[in-house]
Order: sequence, then structure tokens, then C-alpha cells
Amino acid sequence: MAARGRCPECGSGSLVEDAHYAQQQLVCAACGCVLSEGLLTTTYTDEEHLREVAYSQSTGQKEQLSRCLQRGIRRVQDLCKVLQLPAVFEETAVSYFQRALQLPAFHLVSLEKKELLGGCCVFVTCRQHNWPLTMGTVCSLLYAKQDLFAGVYLSLQKELGLSVPALSLADLVTTHLSSFRLLQPATDVPAPFLEDKERLLARTLAMVELASQTWLVTGRHPVPVVMAAAFLAWQSLRPGPRLRCPLARFCRLAGVELPPPARLRLRELLEILLAMASRLSWLRRCRLDRRTVVKHIGDLLQHRLFLLKNAFSQQDGEEQQDTSQGSGSLGSPPVAQGRGCPSAGRRGGPLRPLLPPCLIRPRKRLRAAAPSAPASAATGDEPISDSEIEEYLRSPEEIQAFRKAKAW
Amino acid sequence: FQDDFSTSPHLFTPMSPYDLELPVQTAEDGVFASQSKELHTDFSSVDLSFLPDVTQENKEQNLSEDGHETQKELDGSLPSHEDSGVFMDESSLSPPGAAQPPPEAPGACPPLTPMTPVTPVTSSESSGIVPQLQNIVSTVNLACKLDLKNIALHARNAEYNPKRFAAVIMRIREPRTTALIFSSGKMVCTGAKSEEQSRLAARKYARVVQKLGFPAKFLDFKIQNMVGSCDVRFPIRLEGLVLTHQQFSSYEPELFPGLVYRMVKPRIVLLIFVSGKVVLTGAKDRSEIYEAFENIYPILRGFKKPS
Repeated sequence: MAARGRCPECGSGSLVEDAHYAQQQLVCAACGCVLSEGLLTTTYTDEEHLREVAYSQSTGQKEQLSRCLQRGIRRVQDLCKVLQLPAVFEETAVSYFQRALQLPAFHLVSLEKKELLGGCCVFVTCRQHNWPLTMGTVCSLLYAKQDLFAGVYLSLQKELGLSVPALSLADLVTTHLSSFRLLQPATDVPAPFLEDKERLLARTLAMVELASQTWLVTGRHPVPVVMAAAFLAWQSLRPGPRLRCPLARFCRLAGVELPPPARLRLRELLEILLAMASRLSWLRRCRLDRRTVVKHIGDLLQHRLFLLKNAFSQQDGEEQQDTSQGSGSLGSPPVAQGRGCPSAGRRGGPLRPLLPPCLIRPRKRLRAAAPSAPASAATGDEPISDSEIEEYLRSPEEIQAFRKAKAW
Repeated sequence: FQDDFSTSPHLFTPMSPYDLELPVQTAEDGVFASQSKELHTDFSSVDLSFLPDVTQENKEQNLSEDGHETQKELDGSLPSHEDSGVFMDESSLSPPGAAQPPPEAPGACPPLTPMTPVTPVTSSESSGIVPQLQNIVSTVNLACKLDLKNIALHARNAEYNPKRFAAVIMRIREPRTTALIFSSGKMVCTGAKSEEQSRLAARKYARVVQKLGFPAKFLDFKIQNMVGSCDVRFPIRLEGLVLTHQQFSSYEPELFPGLVYRMVKPRIVLLIFVSGKVVLTGAKDRSEIYEAFENIYPILRGFKKPS
């Protein structure tokens, strides 16, 4: 390589490019003085042309994610940490989020929706791994409106084509109960209210199963059912001091919010239990009401399989044959005629049919369906009378009056 | 020429089963709006006594419904893939604006199995329930620019609030419907209970606009959406249905109490509730609603008994 210039010290023209520990140096061959050392350049290959390399190129900023995406990913990761989810969930949720944000449907939505999108990705991941996370929980963590969340969730499901399995009620019960404060000794929880987690869990699961078999769960929000079931289970485990505790106080003690539908679910559950109690011979004597039946929930749950068949009028002939053949010593109700007709038990009043509450107590009066006779408007091309049309037009006086009033 | 193929199969019944060509050609000229009328008159001589007993609510159902029902039952005897060919032709007629799946071989005439005439269909195949139409949404082009303020001033049955919505909302009493009239001359008519009523109502609105002094025409009348509902009379286990039909169903009790079932063929959305009530929407023709219900009924029957 031709040397540039002359050595300042000895004036010799023989300059050599040499490397000293991989650092390029221009050295005078005669006296050994170092004229210049190599530039501390970047790893770019064009450093040999001694060109300056821009900061953005050298630090690889272009390969970085956009700020919006970074923020979103951080949000998703924070959510996963707060919910104490396994690491796999975090990776899956982040990948969903990245995929979704690139789609045109989500690229230009408002920032609020982008935050919800992160929450939706976490929610979907949890549901796919059968981790019971409710929308309510995610919404409260994101301070989001539920209808907005619902919209983003449905569009995410459609855009990414995700299949989201249904929420498992049993898992939801387990997670929900583990957040109850009644299960550990605390200062504001009186001793008789303290309960063992395993016992409460087992009984609540049985109650929830009973609720789902008696049509109280289908179509309803799952959390109020779980709350009502947990309350009854808790009361029944030690009825003495707990019967006087109302649902609101129970929720406060447990440290859980009371969802408004829980009261209705509670009432429905108690009705079911009362209907079942009337079929147990040792309970038939005592006139049970909504409070006293709680004491016998243990018995009722123990025999629930049998009672479900016998305490409610069945809908199909085949089921009735089964019950009449397989019934035990408690006496079988006579076969119900047709669907939905309450049959009278051998002892006691008519049986309540096993139907969803919306069918037993229809709120709307079923309109006698009377579509207009086919003769009228059969073609859609009938002549239209002028008088009919003129009914819809304002008279000049009306127009005057309106003009004055509204000053069109 | 493939147009009326979907509705014409029931024409086969009074005739020899091998006369496949004739009805297609005669129906070719049929105007769409009146096609149901043509077929009803042809059907009056057919013995319908094999139909299962209709319930109290359905007693008011007119002969036109029976006509469609028989068509449904006879179609039920066809293998399903042939049905899909037939109905795909019908759906390929709507203007390409609609997001329809690509029609498979619209030119091909699927071979129909020769049908034994008037085969009594057992009650397990046909539901005996006919969905009732609840709402029809249609659009028409009046083809002239309209002065909405003028219309709102001169018409009794009009409301116009430009800050809220950029159209006049007009209502008539018979048929009881509502129309949205835009300044471009386009109009949307909603609330009718049948296609004919929707067309009559749209014509009445056009007449009102004409009488108000605008040169309104009646172009491109088209039914955009039809909504029907019915009751299967037994409670349904929605949790079970979403497990077995996961690719079509969406059941989120936290969001909505019903199950949203997106049927692929025909492309109809069904809202299925625990009480057994079913709402069908997204149809451009009433046969799609009937077909969708006949498709879903056996599925729902499977979830009749409590687990």
C-alpha cells in the first residue's frame, strides 16, 4: 500500500501500514514512529473506505420494533406478570399481539383499542390453555369498558381465525375461590366464618354442577352463579352462625365484588333445592323454607343424581320409563303426560318441570302469531291509491304554521 | 337459466321424475319478485295431506309456506352435496358486491336423483316448524337528488335531524315500515314482514316523494336482508353445542346469552337461545332461512335432553 506523505520525524518516505494487535497503524519504516493509528470504526465492512457510519445504522435501530408495538408488548408482558401466568402464555400472547397489530384491521385503531387488543391476546391465550380468566377480570385490569372489549375480542377472533374453547366452569370455581379471604385467618373475619378451602371447593363444585344440570348456567354470566353457589356451600358447611350472614356481607368478607345477578341466581338455586328437598322422605315432614333448606344442602347434594330424576317432571316418555323402573324406595312420581305438564307426585304437590327459568317464567306474553292474511300484498305490485298517499302530506295551513314555528 | 333451479325441484313432484329439463326452461322467464306466486299456483293441485300436523301458531301459515315446506322436505331426500350445488346457484345471483364464497361450477347442472313423487317424509326428517319472517330490509334507487329539508317540511310522517343522521326517516302505517331517504335519492326500507310487503311499502314511499314534487323513479329494488325467527319448543344445551360445532359456533355467556352459529351453507347467522328460540338472519331469499332452519333442527334435536 503506497504511503501517504512523509514521516514527520525522520522525513523518510517509506511508510508502511502495519497492524499492532489488529489495530491498523501507519508506521515509518525508517525510524518506527507511528504516524496514525486505525480509526475506531464500526463493524460495517465499508470502514476500510474510512467513511463515517451513521449512528442509526450502527446501532441497528432500523431492525427495532415500532414504539407502539414496543409499548403494546410491554403491556402484554405486564398483564401476564400481574396475572402470574406461565412464561409460555406470555410468548404466545406477544406473538398474537404482533400478528394482530400488523393486520390492517388493527393497525390504525385508536390507542385505547390497541391497549384492549393486548388484553384480548392475553385473554385468548388463557382460554386456549384452559386457564380460567374472565373478561371481567381483564377489563378491570385494563380499566376498560366491557362492550369495547367485547368488540375488540370478537374482531380479533375473526381476523386471526382463532378457535377459543369455552370457559371451564370447574376451573373458574377453583380460581375464584382461591382469591377468597375467608379461607385464611384475618383480623376482620370472625372465627365461625373461617372455612377450609378444600371442603368449600368440593361443595361449591357440587353446587355448580347441580346448577348447570338444572339449566341455571346456560346463557348466563358464569361469575354470579359461582358466587351464589359458593355462598350456599359456605353457609351449609356450618349453618349455625352463618345463616344470619347475608350475601353482601359474605362478599365483603371474602374480598370479592358482589355481582348484581348473584341474588337472582341464589333465589333460583334455593328454589331448586326446595323442590329436591320435597322428595326426600326425612325432609318431607319439616316444612322447609329458603333458610332452613340450607342446613340440608349436604344431604341434597349427596343424593342429587337420584333427586334430579325424581324431583322434576320429565319431558320425554323414555325418561319417565327409566325413572319408574329404576326408582328406589322413595316412591316414583306418575308418568307426566307430554312435555312441560307438571305431574303430581304421589305425595306433595305438582312437580316443577326441569326447564330453564326463562321458560318457566316467560316474561313476554307469547304473541299469538298472526301474520297478515296472504291475500293482502301478495304481489307487492298492487295499485296505490292517491288518497292514501295524500294522508301523509301536510296541508298548506300546516306548512305555514310550521314555517312560522321553525323558521325553515 | 340456473336461476330458479333451487326453487324449481318441487315442481318435479307432480310430473314424471325424469323431466329435469322442462321446469328449468319454463321458470327461466319468471320474474324474481313473483316467482313464489307462480309456483304456488302450480302447486295447488298437489296433495299435502302427508305433511305433519302444524302447531297452533302455525295454523295461520298460508299455503305459500306449505309450498316452501314441501320443497324443503323433498330437498331433504336429496343427498346434501347435490343440495349444495342447487343452492349455490341461487346465491351466485346476487350482485358481486356481496361477499359470497366463489360459486362452484355455476354452469354445471348437478344430477338429481329421480324422486319418487310425493314421498311422505317422516317427522324425524322434517321439523314441521316454519320460521316466520320478522323483518325485511330492502333498498331502492329513486334516481333523483332530493331536498331533505323540503321533504321534512311537506310530509307529515317524516323526521329529519341533520345533526344526528343525514337522512329523512319516514314511516307509513300500512304496511308498517320505516324508510331512510337520503339526499342522493337512495332509500332503505325496513320493517316489512314479507318481500311483497317490502316492495309495496317501498313503492308507497316513492309515491310520497313523487307527490312532493320530485321526479322519483323506482330502480334496482333489492332485498338486502331477511330476518326470521322460530321456536323449537325444547331447551337447548348451548355448552354442548359449542363443543361439537366449535368451528361454526361462538358462545360467550359473558357477552351474550345466545349462541351465534355461522352456517356456511347457506350463509346465514343463527342466534340460538337456551329457551329454544332461534333467530335467523343474513338471508337474501326466504328459502335460505328455511334451509338454514332445516339444517340446524336435527343438530338441535341432538341437544334436547339434559345431560
